[in-house]
Amino acid sequence: MTVLVALPVLLPLFAAALSLIAGRSPRVQRLLGVGVLTAIAAIAVVLLLETDRNGPVVLQFGGYAAPFGITLVADRLSALLLLVSALVTLAVLIFSIGQRITDYGRQTASTAFHPMYLMLCAGVSLAYLTGDLFNLFVAFEIMLASSYVLITRRTTAARVRASMTYVIVSLTSSLLFITMIALVYAATGTVNLAALPAKIAELDAGVQSSLALFMVVVFGIKAALVPMHFWLPDSYPTAPAPITAVFAGLLTKVGVYALIRTQTLVFIHDASWTVLLVIAMLTMIIGVLGAIAQNDLNRMLSFLLVSHIGYMLFGLALFTVLGLAGVILYVVHHITVQAALFLTSGIITRHTGTVSLQAMSGVAKAYPLVAVLFALPALSLAGIPPFSGFVAKIALLQAGAAVGTPVAYAVTAAAVVTSLLTLFAVTKIWVGAFWGKVAEPHADPDPTDEVTVGTGSTSKGMLVATGGLVAVSVLIAVFAGPLAAMSERAAADLLDGGAYQTAVLGADGGGR
Amino acid sequence: MTVNITMVIVLAGLYTVGFYLLMQRSLMRVILGIVILGHGANLFLQVAGGPPGEPAFVGSAVIQAMVDPLPQALALTAIVITFALTTFLLALAYRSWALLGHDEVQDDVEDRRIREAAERDEDSDDSDTEPSEAVAGFEAPEASEEVPR
Amino acid sequence: MLTAIAAHFVLAAVLPLIARRWGRGAFVVGAVAPALTLVLAVSHADDALAARHPTETLAWAPGIGLEFTARFDELALLMILLVSGIGALVLCYYACYAKPGDRAVGRDSALLVLFAGSMLGLVLADDVISLYIFWELTTVCSFLLVGGDGLTKKLRKSATQALLVTSLGGLSMLLGLILLASASGTTRISEILADPPGGGVVPIAVVLILLGAFTKSAQVPFHPWLPGAMVAPTPVSAYLHAAAMVKAGVYLVARFAPAFSDLPAWWVPIVVLGLWTMVLGGFRALRQHDLKTLLAYGTISQLGFLMVLVGAGTWITALADVTLVLAHGLFKSALFLTVGIIDKRTGTRDIRELSGLGSRWPVLTAFATLAVLSMAGVPPLLGFVGKEAAIEGLLTGDPKDLALLAGVMLGSVFTVAYSLRFLVGAFGTRPTVAPTKAPPSGVAMTTMVGIPAVASLVLAFAPWIVEPVLAGYADTYPLPAPDYHLALWHGLTLPLLISAVIIAAGYAMYRASLAPKLAGWIPERMSAQNGYRAAVMGLDRGALSITGRLQAGSLPTYLGIILVTMVVLPGAGLLAGGPLSPTELRAWDSWMQLPLAVLVLAAAGTVVLARRRLTAVLLTGVVGYGIGALFIVDGGADLALAQFLVESLTLVVFVFVIRRFPPRFVDARPYFRRARWVKAGIAAVAGTFVAVLAVLYSGSRDGLPEASRFYIENAESATGASNVVNAIIVDFRAFDTIGEIAVLAVAATGAASLILARARQRPPSLAALDETDGTDETDGERTEVKR
Repeated sequence: MTVLVALPVLLPLFAAALSLIAGRSPRVQRLLGVGVLTAIAAIAVVLLLETDRNGPVVLQFGGYAAPFGITLVADRLSALLLLVSALVTLAVLIFSIGQRITDYGRQTASTAFHPMYLMLCAGVSLAYLTGDLFNLFVAFEIMLASSYVLITRRTTAARVRASMTYVIVSLTSSLLFITMIALVYAATGTVNLAALPAKIAELDAGVQSSLALFMVVVFGIKAALVPMHFWLPDSYPTAPAPITAVFAGLLTKVGVYALIRTQTLVFIHDASWTVLLVIAMLTMIIGVLGAIAQNDLNRMLSFLLVSHIGYMLFGLALFTVLGLAGVILYVVHHITVQAALFLTSGIITRHTGTVSLQAMSGVAKAYPLVAVLFALPALSLAGIPPFSGFVAKIALLQAGAAVGTPVAYAVTAAAVVTSLLTLFAVTKIWVGAFWGKVAEPHADPDPTDEVTVGTGSTSKGMLVATGGLVAVSVLIAVFAGPLAAMSERAAADLLDGGAYQTAVLGADGGGR
Repeated sequence: MTVNITMVIVLAGLYTVGFYLLMQRSLMRVILGIVILGHGANLFLQVAGGPPGEPAFVGSAVIQAMVDPLPQALALTAIVITFALTTFLLALAYRSWALLGHDEVQDDVEDRRIREAAERDEDSDDSDTEPSEAVAGFEAPEASEEVPR
Repeated sequence: MLTAIAAHFVLAAVLPLIARRWGRGAFVVGAVAPALTLVLAVSHADDALAARHPTETLAWAPGIGLEFTARFDELALLMILLVSGIGALVLCYYACYAKPGDRAVGRDSALLVLFAGSMLGLVLADDVISLYIFWELTTVCSFLLVGGDGLTKKLRKSATQALLVTSLGGLSMLLGLILLASASGTTRISEILADPPGGGVVPIAVVLILLGAFTKSAQVPFHPWLPGAMVAPTPVSAYLHAAAMVKAGVYLVARFAPAFSDLPAWWVPIVVLGLWTMVLGGFRALRQHDLKTLLAYGTISQLGFLMVLVGAGTWITALADVTLVLAHGLFKSALFLTVGIIDKRTGTRDIRELSGLGSRWPVLTAFATLAVLSMAGVPPLLGFVGKEAAIEGLLTGDPKDLALLAGVMLGSVFTVAYSLRFLVGAFGTRPTVAPTKAPPSGVAMTTMVGIPAVASLVLAFAPWIVEPVLAGYADTYPLPAPDYHLALWHGLTLPLLISAVIIAAGYAMYRASLAPKLAGWIPERMSAQNGYRAAVMGLDRGALSITGRLQAGSLPTYLGIILVTMVVLPGAGLLAGGPLSPTELRAWDSWMQLPLAVLVLAAAGTVVLARRRLTAVLLTGVVGYGIGALFIVDGGADLALAQFLVESLTLVVFVFVIRRFPPRFVDARPYFRRARWVKAGIAAVAGTFVAVLAVLYSGSRDGLPEASRFYIENAESATGASNVVNAIIVDFRAFDTIGEIAVLAVAATGAASLILARARQRPPSLAALDETDGTDETDGERTEVKR
């Protein structure tokens, strides 16, 4: 069983290598990619069932007990996120394969895409599973390096600037990450996540809270918390639709995951958390206002992404079981829905030939299926019942009301306002793009740029992949009961921390 | 743990220079900034390990006299990773220069458009003309207005 | 009960398929669900009336308070009579109203049945979350039904306005309900009502809930969405915007009134806005020429009236309220359906173009007259019975109730006047207008009008049929029940006199055509529609202005803000944390550090000033080598080796790249030069901050950490290496190294494609050709094979 924890990392790593070697055979590459991601999803299911029944599954890599070797840990939270991520990456890969076949034909090899995509998946998996702070840095770097390559592929004059913004900001956050590790090591002498809480508890209060907030900054850049979010809407929308989908759906959530993991495991809850509530409120409001100001469909979705990261920070900052359960539900919902929206946006722009909402019209009449594929996740994003976003939102609002401090009430109210403004933004898309007379597709504005906007048909693979994601988001709502119960157990684990530490360090609480 | 002021000053200097270069317009300076920041971060890892000592070779000295080997190992990994990404960034700069003919980090076009729209909007605040897309029709006016029911 | 709701949804899902086959017959199929629900509800009426109140629960996600709970009580029964009864009627009517072969039948029938199911769920819901779920579903149905296919701007605007305004209320209601539930510790409405919480957040929660009711029931100042929504097909208006959905607000208030009727935060907004709405709606209705819009304003006025009655909070006003809810549902649906017939048969609903329909369609005219009289509160109709009860209930002698009575009387005068305006406008004969040509009104559609109209008449003579239901609701108030019964004739009483005065004054007002003369009485600037426009435009402008200001689009700005955040947040945490344990400071560990430090700092400082690219690169190299030397001094031989190696490689790559660039840096434009000192300041503060943290944190521990001790002790035995750093890298922490190699490979791949892409790039004309044949990718993705 324990070896299963390593497979979600090792499988895509080796598959990436194989895929690189098999660069001239697109069939092999496609089979490798789909096969490995399916396998990860299956492993994630097994891990999820196992951790839910018997507690965290731990692999001490190389056989060295924690805190000496590197530990891989799957607990309920990481197994759940691993599963959702595997499903989303799989759907995006199928979409991408469908798009490439439509655009370039079956035989066109793509040496870089598949290996880099698998590397990205390996990085994401490692980030969820690792129990070591420095290894988490390595996981981030694998993920980010592959994302740099993916976002700069086939870059054109218009897009190179945007990818530069992305790469430079991400590198800055990586360097701050190293700085943070140095700070942690200077203060505690360990980088093992399970061993940290005991050491951190001995530190002065000022050191503790400043370290916690330094981590918020480091991971907040990745998760796009206000005021460290500006880079995101400038860079994500310029990538090809499937890449944007996986970036928006997953990469920000890996930041959120790192926030949840470090903040709950390592730090005690104190007054400085009020700061987090305020950041959460700012993120929600500034993000959604940004969305309303946009005319570009993808930029609008990107700002909505920023806005809804605020919800996740909100639940985390409440630091109650219900709040954290809400965050977990929200992350699971949001990964799926945001990816589905970006994929649908990719299909829309292929049909209309433009990303400008003002220039689109009548998509619902011309492509009713696309309208459904957009409407379901969009309503879900706006938190309209009975979709997945509503379930997660309800949990968060109840958690906010239950905490009952003035700041908590204020943020709860802000969450409701954000919900309304999200609906406003989504309606803007619906009314602008979907209603009205059917319009002729616009001519491709930049023929040299074949990725951002390209007119063309959509293949079945793209629709099936998008539909699959939408179905997953509906299933999240249908099975909200078991999922919420699982999230609550995961949240209780997180707040308690004992199960994680015992599983990693052994019952005596540390080393030999 | 005692702290060595000289090294702390070096750290402060490296981070300051790195941060300053990061905020420049020339892509080449930004990359140099990242390299220097990388040096700073790696040095910091080493400093975080404690005061200097004998190199960590088994048997070469008593354990208490040895320098902490773990931060060195971490720094080694970090150095290689930073190098790899710097190389990639240089390639991106190269590509950017090939495409754009300069290496300046420019402002986002769409953001500028929105900023200008906002400024226009504020200038025209007194006049009662409403923005065409406002008031929840959300779109430009069109020809046919009769209700087909 | 839950099965009935689910049956609606299932039926709605298959209706588009049925419509494809049977066309507009789908509406009749759709009517089956509400009709069966009505029959079931009536046959089980005893359960509700005998206070057994059967409850069903379906768990969804009980851990986070999500479950569907349905509870069948008197108020629910009354609402089902309206929701399902009128629903079935309207669906049958729509089957005649729709054009044969209309492509929208599938969508509209499905949405209407979905709406009927949601409404049913709304009135049955016994927990706050299900209440909100069904509430929001009705909003979405309304948006899609009003918007249709969104072909004209008017449709889009009206649908959007209805959606936004009611969602605003819906969300605030949700927040209020959650606060209420959290204050009382249960999400069950029946339990909250049985033991209402008090104090603290309850007044706020109550006001938030009211906001939901006001928007949904089109109360001032949220009302303009309702007349706007009249662009929807008439059957939709009859059902959603007269009988059912707009009643949801009144229902909500009626549901919670027994618990909160004493709370000022509850009744003050209700009666103030309710009265205002009643009078304003009536006044506006008098100025309309479009029959449908006239009815819409009439609905607004009546909804205000209903609100006032719940707000008054006595047993008799509660009874009057639910009586009028029933009466209004009956007469208003009849009138809307009448307008639908007029519109469909004559092609217009403008009073100024209609003439002589009364003599042409006598049966329809008779039915419409019954409905109009019920609306005006004229005996012997149900509307009169309700209004009598209302006046009786307000005649308590309490000054507050007297004030309310005065307002209600004024509103009722308007009601009588616009009722006459409707009746005469629709069916009267105008000497100046040629008689309207029209085919027969149609037996089926006229029958649909007749059913509710005649019901208004029958129930007025036999109020005992429904009185148990209505009085059963009034009994839920924690008040003693007076000896009052609904009846047409109570004797010569004061309420009867007041009714007579109202009718007479209304007739006089109609004859005098007072309202049109008061045109412009309400300044245009204060109109609520302008308020909505200003809000939406303000939102758009505010969003634009804030985003335009914040989202600078400039990378240096973004990085600057990140650095400031990095200082401010942890800095605040540090300051808030209180005193720190002291750190021992030393000047240096080895004298060698001193010259190296000076070298590194000097080189780094000069990089900033360098004008030539090569100089800057070489100086950076000096920094790197200097750091390597410092590593040696610190005892990190391997580290130093790696540092020297990597620094040399970096230099090579740098030199390779800058060969292509101009030798000097491009000088910053004057605009940016000003920012230089800001940047320098931020950089200095952030850099110093990191160093300060380094000092402060290092004081926290002492000695070699246990892991490092373990590595040194076990390196040889476990890995066979005497070099501990190597042992860590290749063995103890080998997983890091695997990752490091992965990063190297990825970066190399990426760099190779970027650099070699240029060699393969072709002129745009050729690139365009490549796109069409699509057999080869135009960039250098294949190149990594050469690696």
